[in-house]
Amino acid sequence: MAPEDHTSALPATLLIEDEQERGYGHVLPLIDGNKTYSQVTEEVFSTTERMPPLKWWLALSVSLSLLLLGAWAVTQTVTRGIGTWGLNRTVGWAFDITNFVFWVGIGHAGTLISAILFLFRQRWRTSINRAAEAMTIFAVMCAGTFPIIHMGRPWLAFWATPYPNTRGPLWVNFKSPLLWDVFAISTYFIISLTFWYLGMVPDLATMRDRAKTKVRKAIFSIFSLGWNGSNRTWSRYETVYMLLAGLSTPLVISVHTIVSMDFATSVIPGWHATIFPPYFVAGAVFSGFAMVLTLMIIARKVMDLEEYITVRHLEAMTKVIIATGMIVGMAYGTEFFMAWYSGNNFERYVFINRALGPFKWAYWSMVSCNVIIPQLFWIRKVRTTPWMIFILSIFVNIGMWFERFVIIVTSLHRDYLPSSWAMYTPTFVEVAIFLGSFGLFFTCFLIFTRLLPMIAASEVKGVLKHEEH
Amino acid sequence: MRSTDAITLTRFRASFADPHLLLEAVKRLKQEGYPIIDTYSPFPVHGMDEAIGLKPSRLPRACLAFGLLGLATALGVQIWTSAYDYPLIVGGKPLVSLPAFIPVSFELTVLFAGLGVVASLFVASGMRPKFKVPDLHPGVNDDRFVVAGEIQAGASFTVVQSLMASLGALETELLVEDKSQTDHSLLDREAKPLAFLLAAIPAVLVLAALPLLNRNYLKRNLAWDGGMMAPVAYQSFDPHPSLPGGQVLQTPPAGTVSRKGLVPLPYGPGKVEAERAGLELKNPFQPSQENFSRGKLVYDRSCAACHGLDGDNNSSVIVARGLLAPAILVAPVVRDMPDGRLFHVATFGGPQKMKGLGDLISRDDRWKVVLYIRELQRAAAPKPLPAPPPSTGATS
Ligand code: HEC
Repeated sequence: MAPEDHTSALPATLLIEDEQERGYGHVLPLIDGNKTYSQVTEEVFSTTERMPPLKWWLALSVSLSLLLLGAWAVTQTVTRGIGTWGLNRTVGWAFDITNFVFWVGIGHAGTLISAILFLFRQRWRTSINRAAEAMTIFAVMCAGTFPIIHMGRPWLAFWATPYPNTRGPLWVNFKSPLLWDVFAISTYFIISLTFWYLGMVPDLATMRDRAKTKVRKAIFSIFSLGWNGSNRTWSRYETVYMLLAGLSTPLVISVHTIVSMDFATSVIPGWHATIFPPYFVAGAVFSGFAMVLTLMIIARKVMDLEEYITVRHLEAMTKVIIATGMIVGMAYGTEFFMAWYSGNNFERYVFINRALGPFKWAYWSMVSCNVIIPQLFWIRKVRTTPWMIFILSIFVNIGMWFERFVIIVTSLHRDYLPSSWAMYTPTFVEVAIFLGSFGLFFTCFLIFTRLLPMIAASEVKGVLKHEEH
Repeated sequence: MRSTDAITLTRFRASFADPHLLLEAVKRLKQEGYPIIDTYSPFPVHGMDEAIGLKPSRLPRACLAFGLLGLATALGVQIWTSAYDYPLIVGGKPLVSLPAFIPVSFELTVLFAGLGVVASLFVASGMRPKFKVPDLHPGVNDDRFVVAGEIQAGASFTVVQSLMASLGALETELLVEDKSQTDHSLLDREAKPLAFLLAAIPAVLVLAALPLLNRNYLKRNLAWDGGMMAPVAYQSFDPHPSLPGGQVLQTPPAGTVSRKGLVPLPYGPGKVEAERAGLELKNPFQPSQENFSRGKLVYDRSCAACHGLDGDNNSSVIVARGLLAPAILVAPVVRDMPDGRLFHVATFGGPQKMKGLGDLISRDDRWKVVLYIRELQRAAAPKPLPAPPPSTGATS
């Protein structure tokens, strides 16, 4: 559908006022189809009340198979040992940590949409924030599994927490970035989950009110916490929502900053750089938005939510992608500049090796997917055509995965001592765990879309006619 | 239906289809002097707080307090564990290195503030699992905007009803409830459980501190798998299902210099022992191309620097430096020594200065060097030898 059609067919009331005033040529509506409140209720909640369609079952079966494959690979790793992976003494981090950083980064877009855009009063976030937050939670779950499996004895993962024990006075090392990671990721997970749940309470109340069976009613009575839409509660609720958004914003930045410190505080050439925190945060937003786009474009088709997740939403996200993509591109350039300007031979060698060495294919796929291809988003037609956005978003996902791979593997495989130089190739088990993480992610996401309202109905109702406020 | 007139202290409820109508109605009711209990809506209606006279929430203060609590907890735990309970210097940093404590402090501040403020919201608004929701209008979570107010003594419901209808109400109903339920001060209702909760805090803190105060390091942890106390490593002579030969101990790879496990060499250093070795030991290796080339390799690496590449001291480093000249290996003295004696010298050293190389060169290789030295001697033999032993013999 061409964007022009949308604008002309819609009553002016559905357009964003301020943008009209700013004189934008084509303003796409937030929610299409001139809906009433009860229509929104019906359309958002009915998906959770009927049997899912065949395509949903098909998707679920594929992702469950992937999940199973991953479970098999994890079992291999745990029972036979880390030797089932392609790591060696030189390349001690590879697929595992690449995937960890990849998934954490993906999670960040969810928080960005739900918290930062909320603080900036970007109303277009309302119909995508619920799904984006769910994505955050599932992505962080996927991310968290990697360091835990990587420990080799995952059942002892609780040793990473400071708890009083009788092993002499023995505590975790609070000066280690790996421990900061433990705190950052778990805080991030807990706060995101809380934020997501809190935002869902009014919708859970609607589900409770609509529930037909006793069991359903009981379950949603528990989770909707006696919500009755009282204005006194709304008033406090909005305050708390705002506070949580305010807390999540620095939190999300801190999380990827700390992840980048896992690298930056080491002395490995190619890692030991002060630009890592901002570079990683921008990369996280970039990859996260690409993943949101990938998911949303599928979801709006499969779930018939095109009127809620409109081209306008997609377009806004593509703009975030261009901006962050260029920050990332600049970081790539800056890294080379710093390597040259530092005068440090090891640093220079690592970057020359990155671009021209044995992993050059990874480096150049990263550059083309992250820097060159997203430039197509400058073209309006590309920004407003869902299938084109979809293809570009897949490229960005691939590129950002390669970015982490390049940073980790190329820096490690040629370190100071040429005698310990080595190569890395993933084993089948590693690839299977990676595929399994996609299985976990999509299984959770698919179940979520059918169990809970994928769109924040109470928020969408608030923006239906917001021009009158 | 009850008689709708002249009931004292009753509540009414009117519902609207639009938030603006609701807002207008609330303003009007206020003007007319009806106390507003609350309004109910599917999404927050902006301007309603001012209309019904709600003061801004104090929850931000709770948030700050919880955040500070988190900060204090984080700093307390980090400083106490890293500087007092387990003072371990890491990376040359001071025990209390505040910059390194920033990340965890920040995370815990956010965690406490976030969870704390949400918990405060639940307590303040009485949000908890409820199977019977009070004051629930069936359409409020869908598309109805509801106001609940009180009809004071003397006022009549019909008046309110017509007023509401004139403002666009879809329906207005009369609710007769006893006073205790209309009490909307939710904090009062939650007061008792809250008090219990607060009272429990010290108890919980004491319980949590007990294991810290009462630590007995001699007692082992509760460990469900023994962890690292019970190694899963195999012992050398254990059987092993998946290794070649069905046992853990494997033949070392080719070229490994073994330090133990070989047949003992029953000799000690010294001339007497050297002679005994000369009598008793025999070179287990036959001269062959392979053994020569191995012997040459070892000789060139381990002996040639002192004895010269051809065993004639010509390219000897230590001779060039004017140090004690080694024995000329191709000289008749050495040529006449039995293999076992040369082997003994290579293992335990010469009569004066030469160091024994038995701990650096494997036993087989030492025998192959002997073979190679014999080859050198054979190569040197046809040449007219320098005046036999005396002056340049083994000693100078
Ligand atoms: C650090 C220099 C050095 C190295 C290396 C060295 N030798 Fe010697 N070698 C000497 C000196 C000096 C003498 C003569 C003085 C002495 O016996 O200590 C000598 C003497 C000998 C003798 C005569 C011993 C005797 O009883 O008169 C033999 C045989 C011999 N070396 C063999 C070897 C062999 C075989 C190697 C290599 C495995 C070797 N040497 C490596 C310095 C060296």
